[in-house]
Amino acid sequence: MKNNNRARMPGYLAGLEPLSRRGFLRTSVLAGAALSSGCSSLFGRREAPETLQYHSLTPDEVEVITRLTEVMLPAESYGLPSSTTVVPTVENIDMMAQRLPKQTRDLMGLGIWVFNNRPMVSFKFSKFTSLSDEKALAYVDAMQEGTFFERGLMTTLKALVALNYWRDERTWPGLEYHGPVTEMWGVRRLGNAPLPRA
Amino acid sequence: MAFVRVPRDGVPVTQAKDVALDASLGKQFTLKTDVVVVGSGAAGATVAYEMAKAGRDVLVLESGRYYPSSQFTEHLGDTMTKIYQDQVGQVNTTADIIFVQGACVGGSTVIGACVMEEPGDKVLDGWAEKYGLENLSAKNFRPYLDTVADQLQIHTNEAHEINACAHKVIQGCEKMQFSWKPAQRNVKQCALTGHCLAGCPSDRKMSSLVTHLPWAAAYGARIFSDTEVVRVRMLDGRARGVEARITDPDSGAEVATMNVDADMVVLAAGAIHTPLILQRSQVKDRSGQLGRNLAIQPFTQVLGKFKEPLYGFRGALVGVQVDEFTHTDGYTIFSGLAEPESLLAQGDMKAGKAHMEFMKDYKYYAGVNAFSRDLGQGYVQWDGDPYTGDKTIHWNPSREEFENMKASAALAARIFFSGGAEKVFLPTFQSLEANSVFELDAKMDEVDYGIKGLYTFRSNSFSPHGTCRMGADPYQSVVSPTGELHDTPGLFVADSSLIPESISAPIQWTVQALAKYVSDQINDNAANYFIG
Repeated sequence: MKNNNRARMPGYLAGLEPLSRRGFLRTSVLAGAALSSGCSSLFGRREAPETLQYHSLTPDEVEVITRLTEVMLPAESYGLPSSTTVVPTVENIDMMAQRLPKQTRDLMGLGIWVFNNRPMVSFKFSKFTSLSDEKALAYVDAMQEGTFFERGLMTTLKALVALNYWRDERTWPGLEYHGPVTEMWGVRRLGNAPLPRA
Repeated sequence: MAFVRVPRDGVPVTQAKDVALDASLGKQFTLKTDVVVVGSGAAGATVAYEMAKAGRDVLVLESGRYYPSSQFTEHLGDTMTKIYQDQVGQVNTTADIIFVQGACVGGSTVIGACVMEEPGDKVLDGWAEKYGLENLSAKNFRPYLDTVADQLQIHTNEAHEINACAHKVIQGCEKMQFSWKPAQRNVKQCALTGHCLAGCPSDRKMSSLVTHLPWAAAYGARIFSDTEVVRVRMLDGRARGVEARITDPDSGAEVATMNVDADMVVLAAGAIHTPLILQRSQVKDRSGQLGRNLAIQPFTQVLGKFKEPLYGFRGALVGVQVDEFTHTDGYTIFSGLAEPESLLAQGDMKAGKAHMEFMKDYKYYAGVNAFSRDLGQGYVQWDGDPYTGDKTIHWNPSREEFENMKASAALAARIFFSGGAEKVFLPTFQSLEANSVFELDAKMDEVDYGIKGLYTFRSNSFSPHGTCRMGADPYQSVVSPTGELHDTPGLFVADSSLIPESISAPIQWTVQALAKYVSDQINDNAANYFIG
């Protein structure tokens, strides 16, 4: 019986020293849950508001997620709705985060922080958000090809972003994906099956 | 003989909102019944129907919400949000395996891909011999499987149910000379929408939502949704009911607590949640096997890209299965490509232009789910207080299981290349793809077992089983051959937890047959369990 509102002991944060293997692992765990839970907001499909208000993501988190969305989903250059100004990808993630259990939400924040601050020599120890487009993409690719915990974290964050973009039905025509068809095809509902014969 | 009328559409379900509006119930109330069934999926629905038909007063408690098929949207995302367990966030402790499970009235039968397969005579006879389950021998268990097949209208896919995705698998198998066959599914007059994973809005999938639950209700069974059983109530060592809480499925607010007084408790909450309820209830367990022996049938999704557009997501979701290795190595491969969101379960989906191009090629893809048999060495555990604790699912591949997963995925890739694929995306956390069959082995070799196989293959499980295994020996098994716990009279298990060892066949057919078997055991010995 999970009580999402209960206060959690911070024990799970112990050992989450930045960059430690365990830290990355736990972050990946959170992110995995977040990925799946990421589907929680798939029903959103709201119009992108002119002024975005975030209820769960912090400004720093918004900055990281927005940057990752820009880097990962250059949709407009493929004739698809923008991932930041048309499809409210980041706001969808925010809606998802609101519904996450506290423990998972905390870990999500940690995962985003670790991702942004993961120092890599080849990137001159810069934060992800301060990298140029080209280097930001290279950073994402480097994480994906990194150690097992790095690729776990990266895969999960990618999935988080991608799910919250491709869930929007405005993206589907670009894939030639038909979406719901039962009503369009006029498929008749059969209702309940009759009782088996004795 | 009484006239029994099945509702034309939907199931009469008491939901949290109904309880909240019923002032006579209050914040805490008690119901009395002959049999309380925990869970309304494949097993729970079957037990409810069989027991209600036998004249018992039956109460079904389902922790998930009631989502009638008339409201299904064919949006996979909507569906995941509303009726997938933990919003598809049910994962192992290292979060690299997703346990996909329905959390709604009808359980996983509502969101399943409709694939049905018998366990096989050899498996059943093995259970009989190894675990003292003579009633489950192939000869004795056959009538149960046949009954379920009739009830669920299980049939072998016909030609129109084999879509372009499946045809690529067939072509590959023909060239490799691998055995394949049309899959068996529990669908009546399939409308070929391809939206099985989001529920069937036209009621063609023979889920419990349109079969055993309305049938049970027709015989008088009462069904509560949004009602999570915390623990089994005991009196003098015998199960006497359950303690549950009702929560609003949208806000999570607790609406009421419910106590049920019952002559019998039947747990059918699935192989993950049934042992957790038993652990919270602190039942006696001489075997030490409660929650253990978790087998998960891990599967990976392998994508092949073809030169011509396939629109492989159109038509029946699962068309064919490759059975060449099912009985020798435990690998079974099913064709299937679902909604765009499902591509994200495949593995790394790249970033930037590479991601956009990966997604834009959706219409060129064929997909398969490559299953491999595991050793059944996982376990589930409840940590903490019954009300505020947490579940944990422990399963990571051993080296042998990792190699099985790798072999199964490699076979799927070879089949695609033989079928004409120009590229195959491997189901890994690493970004791996092979552009020809000649690259395949080298690419696969890049997937290293590492530490406990963590973040290697991107795996899922739809068929966990084995966590309350059935057997004659109380020191080796949790549940007796009748379905009753060895050490707790009046407490039965009827779901996939019972399956005594890892099997490779999809489990729904077996589970519903087991549930009917357990029901028959109870009904045949009713005088021992019920007064009057």
